[in-house]
Amino acid sequence: MRLEVKDLRKSYGSVAVLKGVDLQVEAGKVLAFLGANGAGKSTLLNCISGAQDADKGDILAGGASLRDATPRQVQNLGVAIIYQHFQVFEGLTVAENIFLGHEIKRGGRVDRRAQNGKARELLARLGVSGINPRAELGTLGVGERKVVEIARALRLKPRFLILDEPTASLSDKEAKALHAVIRQAVAKDGIGVIYVTHFLDEIHKVADQVTILRDGRILWTRPVEEVTIADMTDAISPDALLKGIERPGFTPSGPAVLKMDGLSTGFVGPVSAELRAGEVLGIYGLMGAGRTELLECLSGAAPKSSGRIELDGQDVSFAAPREALSQGVALVASDRKEQSLFASFAAVENLLVPHFGRSPMPRLLRDFRREGREFERAARRLNIQPPNPRLQGQRFSGGNAQKIMVGRWLVEGTGLKLLLLDEPTQGVDIGARHELYEALADVKRKGTAVAVASSDATEICLLADKVLVLGRGRQVALIDNPQDEEMLIELAHRAEHSAQQDPAAAEPEAKEMELTQ
Amino acid sequence: MTDTGLTRAAAAADEKAERDWFEIAVAAALPAAIALLALFFYVKAPVFMTANNWIAISVQVSALMTISIPFAMLLMAGKIDLSVGSTLALCGVVAGLSFEPLGITGAVLLTLAVGTGAGLINGVLVSSIGMSPIIVTLGTLTLIRGLAQWLAPNPIFGFPEEFLVIGYERIFGLPVLTWIMLAVIALGAAVMALLPIGPQIVALGVNRRAAFLVGLRVKAIGVGLYAATGFFVAVAALMSISRINSAPAGTLGIGVELSVLTAVLLGGIPFTGGKGSVLRVVLGVWLLGMLSNGLILMNVPTELSLMTTGIVLVVAAGLDVLRARRG
Ligand SMILES: Nc1ncnc2c1ncn2[C@@H]1O[C@H](COP(=O)(O)OP(=O)(O)OP(=O)(O)O)[C@@H](O)[C@H]1O
Ligand SMILES: [Mg+2]
Repeated sequence: MRLEVKDLRKSYGSVAVLKGVDLQVEAGKVLAFLGANGAGKSTLLNCISGAQDADKGDILAGGASLRDATPRQVQNLGVAIIYQHFQVFEGLTVAENIFLGHEIKRGGRVDRRAQNGKARELLARLGVSGINPRAELGTLGVGERKVVEIARALRLKPRFLILDEPTASLSDKEAKALHAVIRQAVAKDGIGVIYVTHFLDEIHKVADQVTILRDGRILWTRPVEEVTIADMTDAISPDALLKGIERPGFTPSGPAVLKMDGLSTGFVGPVSAELRAGEVLGIYGLMGAGRTELLECLSGAAPKSSGRIELDGQDVSFAAPREALSQGVALVASDRKEQSLFASFAAVENLLVPHFGRSPMPRLLRDFRREGREFERAARRLNIQPPNPRLQGQRFSGGNAQKIMVGRWLVEGTGLKLLLLDEPTQGVDIGARHELYEALADVKRKGTAVAVASSDATEICLLADKVLVLGRGRQVALIDNPQDEEMLIELAHRAEHSAQQDPAAAEPEAKEMELTQ
Repeated sequence: MTDTGLTRAAAAADEKAERDWFEIAVAAALPAAIALLALFFYVKAPVFMTANNWIAISVQVSALMTISIPFAMLLMAGKIDLSVGSTLALCGVVAGLSFEPLGITGAVLLTLAVGTGAGLINGVLVSSIGMSPIIVTLGTLTLIRGLAQWLAPNPIFGFPEEFLVIGYERIFGLPVLTWIMLAVIALGAAVMALLPIGPQIVALGVNRRAAFLVGLRVKAIGVGLYAATGFFVAVAALMSISRINSAPAGTLGIGVELSVLTAVLLGGIPFTGGKGSVLRVVLGVWLLGMLSNGLILMNVPTELSLMTTGIVLVVAAGLDVLRARRG
């Protein structure tokens, strides 16, 4: 049994994205499918899943052609896909999302009880016990939503599973659990997997084979034992020299720009930390640790429940992001599609939307030439591909859209004091990640304080001057000059564990159950 | 090698040509429909194609246009105001009742204030408090109509001559009403195309949460758009009553919300907002105006002309689906 892609071609208008791609995935194997942002990975996967029609070529699953099949037919042929963008329903519960379209019924009616129980099992298999099957999906964080999607895909017992950047917003614990689930499904049920990721260090843990897509064609396919991370980096973005980034040698000075004093918001807190001009505070924690909630509170998107926030020595309490912005505080939210991107806006408008009518952009009349220049500068600096200011936001590949989101606050002259970044490099390829880091180093040099939440401990150690470790909403540690990512991971885990023994937070121990029945 | 290279280039060129053609076709559909319709009416009733008739159409649609422009901007921001017809009636009644006690200037100012006030109330309920636009303005639709009828149980008529000139006077060869309409169009187009507020308005309709998070004045813009809609409804009310020289509270502005909605949707603004162009809305209004004018010239009964309008709207919606499919 194999999933085969034959000479697949796909163009958008006059731009050829896939120029004849051949790909085979064997049952019982995991194929890591890699390529730079905009290489066409998602496009290929969308053609397989029936979300898009290829122009030419064929796709075969166990001999049956998937060409021209609808997404539902593809699903019924045993090919499940988890898209880069979320496909979940906020108004439904976790269990309802997992069983949507394939409900467990008893006597003609949906058996919620059975669904909730089964959902709990599936989630436990994924190593997540903190998600309540009855919780409304809208109340979940990004990482948790991804887990729900994965549970939904596995619930259908597919023969082939396609994952487009599943770990982009997962922390290392959930990523590990996901790897285990995938390896197990591969070993036991012999499913074949296509796995797209920009985290090259997970390849050796999860994949059997590596395929590189470049310029719309397959560059090479090799067994995982025969490739090193350097090989892959070089193949994905040959220009991104492996120059090993260093934390910018810049000594933060002066009084604190931001001071959190016993700050609490929702289930998060109390948190106390200080941040000086030009300093980067990393915020690390596992999924559900409260990273996003803390940043939202600082940005005025969520109210604080107690404690103080001081900005430049002034006690502040923002009722809305607008107020925060007027004091020089801005946020790049982590959920790009729902909270950040304006899908139908041209790239240049997406980039500049926060700045229209305020400095540094003209107050009264729009200056289109100026806007064009700003986009050009951002595109050059962050290597936004294609560098087309008129292309709609939704037409950019995930990583390139993300560069635009971060680029919003790299516009010169906005007078930012504090930049809040939630998973800023999600979906960004290895080469472009370096460019983003360099841009952030620049921000730092200009004296803006930065708070960056990330589920990637390596990234935190690379960027941060100090790290705030959160565990289930509590401040676990505040570490100066972090070097040791293992220690961060360890701390975060331990916090989770001790919180679990806390009777208030305890969850009933999930029984060991078979994932696939 | 060369061979396949050439074929591929040719194929790419073909595809580009095909796609561009499709896009041009979609963009041209509305102007083309207007041209074809004009031609059709011209053949059936030659008097249709005279300057005087086109000026007559412009007068007929002037009030509708005046409401449709701000309404379209409201819809782009993802909001809707179903109370425009009732507000039109209320404004007409207020003007009619206040000419005597307040004089023309006073009456006009009061009317504009009442329209803006009604818009503000809608805006505060919807944008500041966060209630559903459809429910709120469906409520105010009934409430304001009731208010208008309570204020003036019987039709008011016989307005001061100095006021009525608005309805029939011409300046530089064009009716005052047409000039007002042109001014509103120019204003709307300029705001959307040249001012920083333009993309901010659309941003609300595209992704409200993101607009909030990047620091846009989400509530203020919403309230402002409702207030502006109310203001221009008041302007339209003055235009209407100056033309018919009466203000019947029971029938003035009945169904205007539907005509406006039809025109705006014809103009390519999706019901869910998030995009659109003022100039295309102008074409949408014009198409409606031409349709009713031409059908009257052809002596088509009103029922039939109503049905035609419905068909045109559904066809336009179909075109939109086609466009969405092609992505
Ligand atoms: N609807 C569209 N119209 C025009 N161009 C598009 C459209 N969708 C995608 N593209 C372009 O196709 C190219 C490939 O995009 P794709 O999303 O497949 O990249 P990707 O390999 O998944 O990248 P990433 O790692 O950033 O997710 C990009 O240059 C993108 O801009
Ligand atoms: Mg992608």
